[in-house]
Amino acid sequence: MNTLSTLWPYLKLHQRQFFVGTLAVFGASWAVTLPAYFTRLIIDGLTRATATGALPGQGISAGQVALYALLAVVSVVFSGALMVMVRRQIVYASRQIEYEVRRDLFGHLSTLDKYYFDRARTGDLMNRLTGDLSAVREMIGFGSWQVASVVASFVVSFFWFFSLSWQLTLAVLLIFPVIIGTLFVLARLISARYVAMQEQNSVIAAKAQENFSGARVVKGYAIEDREIGEYKTMNAELIRRALRLTTVEGPLQASMSLLMGLAYVTVLIYGGRMILGLVPNSPLTLGQFTQFALVLDRLAWPMLSIGMITNMLQRGSASWGRLQELFVAQPMIKDDGRTDVSIKTLRGEIEFDKVSLNFDGQQVLRDVSLKIPAGQTLGITGPTGSGKTVLGNLVTRLMDASSGTVRVDGYDVRRMPLKVLRENVAVVPQEPFLFSDTIAANVAFGLDNATYAPTATRISVLKSKAPPPDDRQPDMNRVRAAAEIAGLAGEIERFAQGYDTTLGERGVTLSGGQRQRTALARAVAREPRILVLDDAMSAVDTETESRILSGLRQVQEGRTVLLIGHRVSTLRHADHIIVMERGTIVEQGSHDELLALDGRYAELDRQQRLEGDLSGEDEAQLTKAVPTENPDPTGPAKTKVNA
Amino acid sequence: MTQPDEAFLKEFDAGLTRRILNYLRPYRTLAVLGLIATLLFSVAAPLYGLIQRYAIDHALGPNVLTAGSDLATRQALYQVLLRAALLFLGLRVLDFLLRYLATYVISLLGQKVLYDIRSDIFTKLQRLPLAFFDANPVGRLITRVTSDVDAINQFITAGLVSLITSTFLIIAYVVIMLSVSWPLAIISFLVLPILFYASAFFRTKIRYAFRNTRIQQAIVNTKLNENITGMLTVQLFGRENHNAQDFDRSNRRLLDATINSVSWFSLFQPTVSVLGAVASALVLWFAGRSILIKAGVGNPDAFLAASGVTLGTLVAFNSFVGQLFQPIQDLADVMNNLQAAMASAERIFGVLDEPVTIQDKPGAKTLSPFEGRVDLNKVWFSYDPAVTADTPDDDPRWTLRGIDLHIRPGESVALVGATGAGKTSITSLVSRFYDVQRGSVDVDGVDVKDLAQYDLRRHIGVVLQDVFLFAGTMETNLTLGDPNIPHERVIQACKYVGVHEFIMELPEGYNTEVRERGATLSTGQKQLLAFARALIQNPDILLVLDEATASVDTETEMRIQDALEKVMHGRTSIIIAHRLSTIEHCDRIIVMRRGQVVEEGSHRELLVQNGYYARLHRLQYAQGDAAD
Repeated sequence: MNTLSTLWPYLKLHQRQFFVGTLAVFGASWAVTLPAYFTRLIIDGLTRATATGALPGQGISAGQVALYALLAVVSVVFSGALMVMVRRQIVYASRQIEYEVRRDLFGHLSTLDKYYFDRARTGDLMNRLTGDLSAVREMIGFGSWQVASVVASFVVSFFWFFSLSWQLTLAVLLIFPVIIGTLFVLARLISARYVAMQEQNSVIAAKAQENFSGARVVKGYAIEDREIGEYKTMNAELIRRALRLTTVEGPLQASMSLLMGLAYVTVLIYGGRMILGLVPNSPLTLGQFTQFALVLDRLAWPMLSIGMITNMLQRGSASWGRLQELFVAQPMIKDDGRTDVSIKTLRGEIEFDKVSLNFDGQQVLRDVSLKIPAGQTLGITGPTGSGKTVLGNLVTRLMDASSGTVRVDGYDVRRMPLKVLRENVAVVPQEPFLFSDTIAANVAFGLDNATYAPTATRISVLKSKAPPPDDRQPDMNRVRAAAEIAGLAGEIERFAQGYDTTLGERGVTLSGGQRQRTALARAVAREPRILVLDDAMSAVDTETESRILSGLRQVQEGRTVLLIGHRVSTLRHADHIIVMERGTIVEQGSHDELLALDGRYAELDRQQRLEGDLSGEDEAQLTKAVPTENPDPTGPAKTKVNA
Repeated sequence: MTQPDEAFLKEFDAGLTRRILNYLRPYRTLAVLGLIATLLFSVAAPLYGLIQRYAIDHALGPNVLTAGSDLATRQALYQVLLRAALLFLGLRVLDFLLRYLATYVISLLGQKVLYDIRSDIFTKLQRLPLAFFDANPVGRLITRVTSDVDAINQFITAGLVSLITSTFLIIAYVVIMLSVSWPLAIISFLVLPILFYASAFFRTKIRYAFRNTRIQQAIVNTKLNENITGMLTVQLFGRENHNAQDFDRSNRRLLDATINSVSWFSLFQPTVSVLGAVASALVLWFAGRSILIKAGVGNPDAFLAASGVTLGTLVAFNSFVGQLFQPIQDLADVMNNLQAAMASAERIFGVLDEPVTIQDKPGAKTLSPFEGRVDLNKVWFSYDPAVTADTPDDDPRWTLRGIDLHIRPGESVALVGATGAGKTSITSLVSRFYDVQRGSVDVDGVDVKDLAQYDLRRHIGVVLQDVFLFAGTMETNLTLGDPNIPHERVIQACKYVGVHEFIMELPEGYNTEVRERGATLSTGQKQLLAFARALIQNPDILLVLDEATASVDTETEMRIQDALEKVMHGRTSIIIAHRLSTIEHCDRIIVMRRGQVVEEGSHRELLVQNGYYARLHRLQYAQGDAAD
């Protein structure tokens, strides 16, 4: 299959393990049939020894019985040792490949761009990285082992069958297709019905999730009983599907034993006739019959697993196809032939030259031209969707212009190595993404990263070096200084564990304002040449914002700032202000000039004076002693501090 | 990094077990039926060996067949063999039916029990007060109705059923083997205790290794999720290599954990096989010797002589020993399986035992007609359940401190104040999401504690800033699944608030499926939908929680204003407002501060009063100039 060929490089990394493992499978399958052979020797010996009119010494001695019994044990020990080896070669290899694919996918995902992640859904990516990856691992581990095992079992068994009696073998061959066919059909049905049941399980889990997250709505509109009714209906459907599964899964074991019983009876009747000498010229001993029956019994599992293996291989290759889709995805934004590697630093002059941008079939920027000298602060305002954020995205090259050129220091940004560009530009978004790590680690998020070597991909885990057990500690002075500038230091110190406080589910939950300020500290810590503040302090009260901005002004000497926001009180300090609307600049100038223009900016100013946020300025003064409204029953350790 | 719940262990607990067993009670008939079927096929299990033995000893064995037997004798022996073979086959068919029956009945039983447990938890969760949901993250509650319930299923199928089946099977084999040849039986049993302990040992090891694997897997998944969600941040900060290295560490830990499980697993099955070979070798050796002694070869031995072993016995015991292995192994695992469910059972019953603090009183009243008068009489309230009426007034945990607020039917009231002043709390109390510690909340003159919750809330419409959309169509989201609401009313309401055109622009209009909780809808659209939903439910009291503060464009904002006014019309409305334009439109403004009402009156009155509100207003107005 075409998609599976792309799996080959990974298998090749572990070819020795697969080769040795497969040999071991054959060895084990052979050795495990030996006890049946020794049993035959004992039974035939005993038959001769106890036959009417047997002479003393004819047949078998007690010593020989003991020896054969011992040899039977030895062969099982041998086969067992080989089985241990099989698992430790093939299954280990599959786990190692799983690790390698996961590592490589992680590495690959981190090369993909905004365009990709805007389209991809996290849930879908997660499903591929978990469910699909497991299915692939099962296919190459358990699957390949089982294929080898089925083949080996049949080869060895039929070797014995033919060596014992071709007539009996033929009899068995007539029944086998029935057995294999029945089990195969059952296995397919089980697989399909299992999926159907799991789907219903997901539906139920989704319902519960929705109900619990929407508890306020459910209670507010008193629709609990309707919800319970729906939930029960879904569960009744689950029962129906579970029972449908049981009707085919329940008889699997029972059918197996029935069908094997049928095979045994056939062997018993026909073999019995042979033993009794009723089949001309085909003598069979009791020992041979017993060996035949014992070997036959061993084939039960291989026959059962044929259907399972087919499902496993099918699922595995479909899953690999889905993983392969991730591997072939390519970023649109990356260093390429145009990249000028001689560019090592930048000063921070930004120029938009007739820049237009189409995104998702919409024109989000049209013909924007603008020049920001290094060290200046540009204020950007305008309604949602007017293209403010896009300007920042173009500077950081999260997006590329559809036409026109964005220049930094006179270079087309598309010629600048991404690494250099991003090392010198820092962004604080409105809804920052923080990691569930300590506050210190979050603030130091952008520090020292250049010292980390890329993790090698496409190599065997057995040949790659493990990373050091711990990350280097961040420079706490820089972290503290950044937190100070972001107006966060005081609050952090009030946390019981200070900078070591963990954020996220298992740590404290920060308020919106605190999150924004942490993101600001994270950006400031990098000491970037260009700082993009994208509505970065919308959840911070105006007084704190002013304080932070004046603090920033002192340390940002010579730094270019793109200040995107809605508050005139903030924007007025910018050197130059632009007002965006529907992707174009509709007004620009200094604060005073724009007020004098008496256009949209002036209107915004008036509006804010009239309607501004009532709970803004006064909040800091009013709520100092008041606990937050949000009930937080986990106690005072998690007390939130109002922004 | 979240540790899965299963990381925690719990000892076996008889009390919890009894409670689980109580769930089986309604299905006694099924249980008995399953038990009988299990018993029957267990008894049948050793019969196959006996038939083999009979066939060998009476039709095929050395003592019946001698070199010189004539054809007639052999034909007669063949008839014996044929009868045995048919009996064997007949038993297998019966066995098939019994096993099928048992499996089906037990599965049905298990599913019914799961259905009951799930329904109980879900129903209970619907009755629990909002405070419970505040305290428990959604993910945790999902676990209760999914994996915890599955663990109970394991308890029943892998635990109880396996315990019963294995015990039956073992007893059947042991009895038959002892009665056929007690000395050979005793020899055969020698290995079994070792098997039992080896199985228990390995299963425990494997279980621990698996648990560790799951923990590591959860860590890897959390990191994956976080990195995928935050990938652009990672890239902007040039942290790809750093995070790849960090991920590699977790990935390697997961690999080590899985390799550890596999290594234990790889030892388990071969050990069992070797023990099986030893047992079977002992049978061969012992039976072989006694057959030889009977035939006059070797030294006589009293113990061996007593065994009465024939070749048929040898073959039969050889298979008995093998067949005994599975139930012994299962039995060794039963305790583990039972124990594994204990932690889950405890969590489930923890939810079921959670006291329903907000409950309808017996004979709770319903209001009809409903007027919409709301009175808060000297209300003191705290979210902290530890706070009681006797807690001193100066305790910082009080959220509302002596609120006295009386709202006439049809009056609109704006609550104004800083975050944490207690505005949302007031609206929650009117819906009786929480009970007050002191004072009372009355609706139409009746304490909400004396009203039926369902009836009370049916009359209250809540508009959240961000409309919560359920899976389903736009229509079911607006009607909240109430089939009695005619489509015309939905359209009428949507037209009224100005969201009808938007819905009609969707690919399938009102029948458009809502995807991803309406992630594609804008803030303004969501707010309008929330109004439409409230309007369709036609409430007498309207609560608007936190109007949207997020930036919406002017046009949308005007629409929202307009819709709000329409929805408020003729209804008692309590609105938490931020926009001055909204506030000005309300009949009365209540200014709150630290859980108290500091001022109230109309916009004009309050400005004239020149107090806190006026200061807020002025501050706001002067903001631009005062910043320096």
